[in-house]
Amino acid sequence: MSRKMILRVPKFQEPKRMEKSEAQRLWLLLKDAIVEVQHMNASTLSFEELYRSSYSLVIAKRGDILYTGLEEVNNHHTKNLLDKIAQAVDERFLIELNSQWQQYKLQQIMIHDILMYLDRMYVKEPQLKVFDLGMFKWKQNVLIHSQINDRLVRMLLGLIHMERNGEVIDGALMKSLIQMYVDVSLKEKETYKQEFEERFLLATSHFYKSESNLFITNNSCGAYLKKVEIRLIEEEARIKQYLDESTGPKLIKACEDELIANHMQTMIEMETGCRTMIQNDRFNELKLMYRLFQRVENGLVHLKNEFAGYVRNEGHKIVNQPENLKDPNALITSLIEIRNRFEKTLSQSFANNRDFINSVNTAFESFLNENDKLSESLALFIDKKLRGGFKDSNDQEIDVIMNKVILLFRFLSDKDVFKKFYEHYLAKRLLSGRSFSEDLERTMISKFKQECGNQFTSKMEGMFTDMRLSKDALDGFKNYLQTSVEMGKLPKIDMSVRVLTQGFWPTFPPHSCTLPPLLSQYCDLFTKYYCHAHTGRRIIWQTNIGTAEVTFRLPKKTHVLALSTYQMLIMLLFNDAEKLSLKQMAAGTSISFMDIQRSVKPLYSGKYKVLKRTPAVEKSKELSENDIFELNLNLKCKLHRIKFAATSQTDSEPERQHTRQRVDEDRKIEIDAAIVRIMKSRKALIHNDLIVECTKQLSSRFVPQTSMIKKRIENLIEREYLERFPDDRRRYRYLA
Amino acid sequence: LSQNFEDLLLDENSKDFTIEIESEKPIYLRCHKAILNCRSDYFKALFRSKMIESQQGKVVLHDTSKEMMEKFLKYIYTGKIEINEENAVEILISSRKFCLDQISEFAAKFIKQRI
Repeated sequence: MSRKMILRVPKFQEPKRMEKSEAQRLWLLLKDAIVEVQHMNASTLSFEELYRSSYSLVIAKRGDILYTGLEEVNNHHTKNLLDKIAQAVDERFLIELNSQWQQYKLQQIMIHDILMYLDRMYVKEPQLKVFDLGMFKWKQNVLIHSQINDRLVRMLLGLIHMERNGEVIDGALMKSLIQMYVDVSLKEKETYKQEFEERFLLATSHFYKSESNLFITNNSCGAYLKKVEIRLIEEEARIKQYLDESTGPKLIKACEDELIANHMQTMIEMETGCRTMIQNDRFNELKLMYRLFQRVENGLVHLKNEFAGYVRNEGHKIVNQPENLKDPNALITSLIEIRNRFEKTLSQSFANNRDFINSVNTAFESFLNENDKLSESLALFIDKKLRGGFKDSNDQEIDVIMNKVILLFRFLSDKDVFKKFYEHYLAKRLLSGRSFSEDLERTMISKFKQECGNQFTSKMEGMFTDMRLSKDALDGFKNYLQTSVEMGKLPKIDMSVRVLTQGFWPTFPPHSCTLPPLLSQYCDLFTKYYCHAHTGRRIIWQTNIGTAEVTFRLPKKTHVLALSTYQMLIMLLFNDAEKLSLKQMAAGTSISFMDIQRSVKPLYSGKYKVLKRTPAVEKSKELSENDIFELNLNLKCKLHRIKFAATSQTDSEPERQHTRQRVDEDRKIEIDAAIVRIMKSRKALIHNDLIVECTKQLSSRFVPQTSMIKKRIENLIEREYLERFPDDRRRYRYLA
Repeated sequence: LSQNFEDLLLDENSKDFTIEIESEKPIYLRCHKAILNCRSDYFKALFRSKMIESQQGKVVLHDTSKEMMEKFLKYIYTGKIEINEENAVEILISSRKFCLDQISEFAAKFIKQRI
């Protein structure tokens, strides 16, 4: 830009030199005015005149006269005030101090207003701004003066102490005086912190230390908790009422330390403390405790551990109670009950805190797996429910129970054992027609499916399919019989057959027996029919789990007996004999002696006795081969149809053993598969890593024993799936 | 909005304060306390001090010309001011006194560009 500059400088602003005497005159004018202001006589002054005077001094570079002059005037004034205030006695002291302070602040605002130009244009760091200079002089000459400061703080703390003891004090006065410490602080409230806050916090800790010690020894834990809560609310209110907000967190921390943190252990252990509250379901007190403990570091950890410990202990008692060990139903019912109880505590008192829930769950996991009873008990519990235990419950209640079952199931570490038992009882329910509702069966299974996936329930679903297909096959068979040539030659009996796909169903221990010729013929006919309809299938008859109805003719009356197949075979023998020993029964039916024993027992020892032992032997429960039985022709029974238990209701020990063995067999396969899977993807692995990985993979189904995994590894090496590294025996290599 | 305030500048009835420019024949500029109070720290302090001016409803200025004060008043009401080579220096100096910081900055920049 080549334009010529033509800025115009006004004439009257040309730099004019100010004589010293003129500067002095202006300063005196201002000084008089400031003194007037300090005596609260400002109304006759002219603001513009004073402002212009200070403005002129600054423009003429005489700001220094003004600034140092101001400092002196303030100094003088505050020193005068000190004497005046210090003379006030007792309560007058605080009032006098406060009223002087309030006036002083107003004066300082006014002085700042008059000297605004000085403030804006002259004052440079580290000089204090005009208003701050006023504050500083007050602090230096009044507030922290030995005649004031100590006396003031002592009186303030004394008043707070009185208020904490229930007396009413002047909150506005407190606020004004405490705020004074903040106002005179130049940066970061340092005067407030040093002179007041520190001593206040110390007094607070001291007060609550002695109060809490005294209170907790003379009152219940619940009362103490309430007291603490009230104290904390009061202190919060105190912050709002007259403390600086920056003190808030520190004050609350000090209170929490004294009132809560220092007494946590006592509150947990004292007679009326946490333990008792948990025991007696004192939800509200626990809730309060939770809320208060939450405020201090590690508070909830203490509470959580105490609660989890209690849960573990209660659970431990339940799973080891002798009555419960005998009665699976009672065991599971009690477990569901305590689960409900603790869930209530969790939701009502502990805000469903994640950590709390997790530690309760861990506790459940630990005591539920304390003994190996639980898998079977749980399966039996459901068995009972599905056999009709749900009869009196509505859908919603059933759903609740089923979900609880799933919940307990989730904690089981050996889910495969449970599965085997569940399948076992399911099979029994289906085959004996004792299932209460297919819908409920399926609902239960779908819940397991949701929990564990398809693989877990595929066999169970297969059983249902078999039941349906069997019905079709049986209908077909009946049609076939009507058109069959051979049919004419045979007497009619009503035979019902269920075709069970091997693999879906638990394998029942193999038993053999000799069927009467008529039944054998029917069986052969069915085999012929079925194998014709489904080529390539093989039928194995499992007579030991069948049932039969037999007509029992007494001299005066006829009964129908509902029996197991074995019992039927035994009873049929009496068509040709009056008395039979057990040995003879076994010989006549080819049933093992043990099964004979178990089958005969309900027939002679139940409510209705169709057999009697001869000679009658009292109290001898054990049966021997040579015990002799005959028909009880004096049977008295009003019922036409009499139902007999096949064997004793619960499973016998051998059956249970059998189930366990099968679980072990299955586990071997699972472990093999897991090892091969891992090695296939990793190619080479150190022994320990393989064990860890394998355990991890299987943990959703069961917890494999390390020794078992080791055996399987050995086995796989023999079968040449794996080999050891020749130079490092701890490492394995996968052989493709 | 600035149009509304410009209208207010012409609304003599509602004005409640007088600025007297001292000269042989005094000039009176009427204006609104409320507007001045919120636009200039000088006036805010003047009203707050409760000294003689706020009692009389009048301030007497010795060192500001009528033209300059009218410019400032227009700026105070509307936010607009015209700066040129003729008046820039005077505006800079006078605006400082009345704590019209935006104008001071603007004028200073204006001058810097031309030196």
